[in-house]
Amino acid sequence: MTTVTDRTVPDAPAVQRTPRRRRTPAKVVVARSVVAVLLAGYAVVSLYPFLWMVSAAFKTQQEVIQGGHLIPHDPTLSTLVDTWAQLHFFDYFLNSLKVTGLTTLGVVVVYSAASYAFAVLRFPGRQAFFRLFLVLLFVPGVVTLLPIVLLENQMGILGTHLGLILPFVNGTAPLSILLLTNSFRSLPDELRDAARVDGAGELRIFTRIYLPLARPALITVALLTAIPTWNEYLLSRVSLNDPATFTLPIALQQLQSSNVVQYNQLMAGALIVVIPVIILFLATQRYFVNGLAGAVKG
Amino acid sequence: MTTSTALAAVVPTGDGGGGRRGRRRHPVHHRGQEVAWGYVFIAPALLLFLVMGVYTLFFSAQLSFVRWNGLTPTWEWVGLKNYADLLWASPVYAPVVHRAALNTLGVMVAVPLLTVLVSFPLAVVLNQARRFAGVLRSVYFVPYVTAGIAVYMAWQYVLEPNGAVNLLLRTVGLGSLEQPQGWLGNPATAMPTLVVIMVWSGVPVAMLLYLTGLQSIDPSLLEAAQLDGAGWWRTNLAVVRPLLAGTTAVITLLNVREALQGFQIFLIMTNGGPAGRTNVLGLETYDLAFQQELAPTLGLASALGWLLFFAALAVAIVNQRVTREKP
Repeated sequence: MTTVTDRTVPDAPAVQRTPRRRRTPAKVVVARSVVAVLLAGYAVVSLYPFLWMVSAAFKTQQEVIQGGHLIPHDPTLSTLVDTWAQLHFFDYFLNSLKVTGLTTLGVVVVYSAASYAFAVLRFPGRQAFFRLFLVLLFVPGVVTLLPIVLLENQMGILGTHLGLILPFVNGTAPLSILLLTNSFRSLPDELRDAARVDGAGELRIFTRIYLPLARPALITVALLTAIPTWNEYLLSRVSLNDPATFTLPIALQQLQSSNVVQYNQLMAGALIVVIPVIILFLATQRYFVNGLAGAVKG
Repeated sequence: MTTSTALAAVVPTGDGGGGRRGRRRHPVHHRGQEVAWGYVFIAPALLLFLVMGVYTLFFSAQLSFVRWNGLTPTWEWVGLKNYADLLWASPVYAPVVHRAALNTLGVMVAVPLLTVLVSFPLAVVLNQARRFAGVLRSVYFVPYVTAGIAVYMAWQYVLEPNGAVNLLLRTVGLGSLEQPQGWLGNPATAMPTLVVIMVWSGVPVAMLLYLTGLQSIDPSLLEAAQLDGAGWWRTNLAVVRPLLAGTTAVITLLNVREALQGFQIFLIMTNGGPAGRTNVLGLETYDLAFQQELAPTLGLASALGWLLFFAALAVAIVNQRVTREKP
């Protein structure tokens, strides 16, 4: 059967198993080359703006105005250093780190507890509350942006980092609860029963048994929170006024609007924004990719 | 380690219902405590949700029926007038909304369509790649994780009159296609350019979903198709594509919703210009809410936001109907 497939259809999976010494037909070689060119081509398309971002960040002001070549003739670190130190990107970086870190921590603590309740505990109104949270998934951000700003203005937290963190945490509620509840539900009920027999309390069962077992889902939720929060622009733009509170995206926007655009500085700033996310993504992409597919489908 | 041994000890004995029955043996004691813990565990989430979610939604709904600039101590109740003004009544706002709606409609059709047309073949090809598949997938994903102002500024930079895209065209001998005003400066090219960037940002997730779908297809189905004499093109178009119709529906829905409501890229890259050519409904909402100084347009902004919500809801319902009828 396999041999038949082998002969009639050259690019069937079975061809992989054939010994190397048999010559690959020309048609297959052509097909493979086309595939390779397509794949490499789209890789270049994916990275295209980043190539120029890196290029400009290592150019001097003069060279960037001249334009016209990707590789800097005389690469310099001074643009990056200046942006980092003199333009206070280090401070903005710390602000971004603080907002992103606290938002992520808040999401993991608040919604793992809530999801444990939804998945494991039984209490009146459980279903209703669960659905209430999921409804938020369908409300566009643009509807809540204005009332959040007005409300925070009344509460006196507009323009503070707390004023960003609270709506950011709440904004991830539907997705986080969905992912974590599914993860807790997939654990067997007997886990909890056995722990109870051993005399463990609810808090102990949650922190010592359920949380460690749900680690992949927790990491996914943390990533799906941290990356958009790091890049968040809209609420930050309409609420942050004091330069001491600026996060990186707002600092970038200020850099663009405050003077004649110096693309080498702007791209150095942009590079400082994207590098941490890319590193985070590369380090954790297993969780990220699985979680994202699950999140979108579920 | 303790947890894994607990798991091992528990799983074989369980029949699914055993634990539940055990719990019911002491109903009063258990339930009371469990109920209390349940409320304790959801309390922080619920509190935050009541303030930042429920309250803001009611506030926004209320705002959509008033005339207010956000500063005066009182607002004027106008009923449905804001909605009427936006849709047809106002000579100032209705024409702007109509133009923005047309632009939005264009984006809503073009972005999902192009995203599917790029990501499906890409996923099929990537799925058959033997080497570098993992590396390529990571590379293709970079536009998604970096999505935001930094990347949009990089695009602005390469689309400048003196930028890399024009340079590339000149180098490959397509100098006639160069845009001397820059790709975002020319009213004719601004919108198509933004659509391309939105597709570029949307392809990673779409490709990932298609890849997941492709890996779940039973290989014997494809072998059967090939035994019946279907070539590579036939197999993918006639067998794989219909099998992934559900994935296509999800991708379409996500992108339509994003096209309806997302406006960050428009705000950052063109702010609706040149000459209103890239003004979309989401951006118009933002404009009415935050860029009108003292004009009493907060009610209009809220009303437009809700119209977008209902449009997205309608699209979701239609999408679900269509996908359910297909198979």
